Amino acid sequence: MVSCALKTEHSHFFPKSVSKIVALSISMKILIIEDEVELSAVIQDFLEQEKFLVETAFDYASGLDKISNYDYDCILLDIMLPGGSGMELLAQLRALGKSDSVIIISAKDAVEDKVQGLELGADDYLAKPFHLAELHARVKSIIRRKNQHGENIIHYKSVSLFPDERKVLVGNKELILNRKEYDLFYYFMIRPEKLVQKTTLAEAVWGDHADQADSLDFIYSQVKNLRKKLKDQKAGIDLQAVYGVGYKLV
Amino acid sequence: MKISLKNYTIRYLIIAFLVIMAVWASLFYAYILDEVYDNVDDGLKNQKIEILRGVYEEPELLETSEYGINQFRIRPAEGDEEFSEENRLSREFFYMPYDDEQEPYRVLRTGFYGRDHKPYHLEIRTSTVEEDDLIYDLTTALMVLYAVLVLSLYLINTFVLGRAWRPFKIILDNLNHYRFGTKDKLRPIDTNVLEFNQLHTELDRMWRRNEELFDEQKRFIENAAHELQTPLAITINKLDLLMEDETLNESQLTQIAESKSSLLRLVNLNKSLLMLSRIENKQYKNVERVSFNDISRELVNEFQDLLDFKHIELLLHEESTFEIEMDRYLATVLISNLLRNAIKYTPEGGQINVFHVQDRFSVTNTAIGPALDPDIVFNRFHKGEQDKGSTGLGLAIVKSIVDSYPILSVGYTYANEKHMFFIKK
Repeated sequence: MVSCALKTEHSHFFPKSVSKIVALSISMKILIIEDEVELSAVIQDFLEQEKFLVETAFDYASGLDKISNYDYDCILLDIMLPGGSGMELLAQLRALGKSDSVIIISAKDAVEDKVQGLELGADDYLAKPFHLAELHARVKSIIRRKNQHGENIIHYKSVSLFPDERKVLVGNKELILNRKEYDLFYYFMIRPEKLVQKTTLAEAVWGDHADQADSLDFIYSQVKNLRKKLKDQKAGIDLQAVYGVGYKLV
Repeated sequence: MKISLKNYTIRYLIIAFLVIMAVWASLFYAYILDEVYDNVDDGLKNQKIEILRGVYEEPELLETSEYGINQFRIRPAEGDEEFSEENRLSREFFYMPYDDEQEPYRVLRTGFYGRDHKPYHLEIRTSTVEEDDLIYDLTTALMVLYAVLVLSLYLINTFVLGRAWRPFKIILDNLNHYRFGTKDKLRPIDTNVLEFNQLHTELDRMWRRNEELFDEQKRFIENAAHELQTPLAITINKLDLLMEDETLNESQLTQIAESKSSLLRLVNLNKSLLMLSRIENKQYKNVERVSFNDISRELVNEFQDLLDFKHIELLLHEESTFEIEMDRYLATVLISNLLRNAIKYTPEGGQINVFHVQDRFSVTNTAIGPALDPDIVFNRFHKGEQDKGSTGLGLAIVKSIVDSYPILSVGYTYANEKHMFFIKK
């Protein structure tokens, strides 16, 4: 684990270009503190499929126990817990001087909760219910931000994505993408060869699922553009439609 | 025609008074006249007795053939003339030099036998009331009385009843200003009128009961929406996991995707309902000075790709800055919902205009259909005809946000085949 102080030191001494490259998700430890056992199990299943090491806690006491004794790369924290509030847990964590990244997941997507959570040092806030792909994207980006001296580039085949610069390289040539194209491509790059559902993408770009028809058409056209650009650049990768449900980066 | 309660009574009282006074006046007149004649007649009869006595003692009085100072005359009865000793009273007119006109007199005619045993006619007269003058005077007096009565009635109504009814006015005013869920207190009334106090107490109780029910209902909606979030999250995430399964065939995968899509609609509905109750519960309290110009610029930037995709031209007009003290998040939701609404309903190749004027922020867009009904367009779950996927809550949220700031108002108009939604300060 790398603390905040170390992070600054390191980024100071090691410029990005010489940073050590490690596989991102391998052996990344995640703690889920969530009292809904089923939800916790689903998230655990999913994250384990993504090769994370996952531990769970179901109440305040066991959560506190885990965060005091171990370090995690990312903690998924519910606010309403038996025996206490996730906010208190977050405060405890910071009081212990730990810098584990925290994503608050809560059914209460009230703004004040969000603000309070972020003020207490949470890194992100995700309102229930969420797409697992969305959760995955957030976890990845948090771990990436945290390990600034580590893996900064996402590779797939000959394509590299630089999240900090929002830049994509095919071989050594830059692939010029507009904003939304980049956002969509990011989703594909963090989960290559996996199905990315259209609804997830639509919500990511439009933010309100209600307006399906328009945004799905929009996604379709954006994906079409992306495919054309990838093909023109001879990237050797393609976005494959999966039964009209979504796409897969292959 | 609607009239106020106090004028309502006065209208009938005026007519009633008029009738009562007319009847009373006729009776009064008849009694007075009766009494006057009675008095006069008694006097005449008394005079007759005195005259007859005088004639016995002084026979030369029999020679009084014309009315003189004594106001009587005597003439001997002719042979075939009708003769009677009964008193006959009548009302006649005689010339009166003082007034220089004919004046009414009461005349007593009778007959008697003198000492000479001859029959004589006796006529005694006396001046009596002038009935027309009496009627005239009486009418005048009554009219004055009537006028005074009506006037005092009016004044009493205006001042006394007005004062007595003031608490009622306050109660009406209270009801008028009452808005559900505002948690205002009823303005207290200060009166010793029993009925008003009762009315006030009952209203107050009803009010509280309603508020409690309303609160309960709001809490119920919020709790229900809230409680649904976790099971929805579990279901959706399980479907997500299921969709990762590479062995699924097309129809299975499509069906799962469709289920998820329906669930996501539910999620959105839920979120919108939660948001509505939070707005109504005034949970967004981070009030600061926000510029609609800044927010719309950011949002337009956000939506630009989608706008390009739909070939919609969006023009931002910033004649002035539209600034207001409100919660920034709510301001963003407000503008975002209006913009999304416009984008959603603008046909391909259409145009959206966003105007910022000092006291007015408006969004217009090219219309496909006819004008919307301004009375229901902001209603919850009201949806346009061509709408399938929408929650029908977007504009309801806009309205709810605007309503939570008393200085803001929202409206809709339609002109030149353009829909326009505007926010006014």
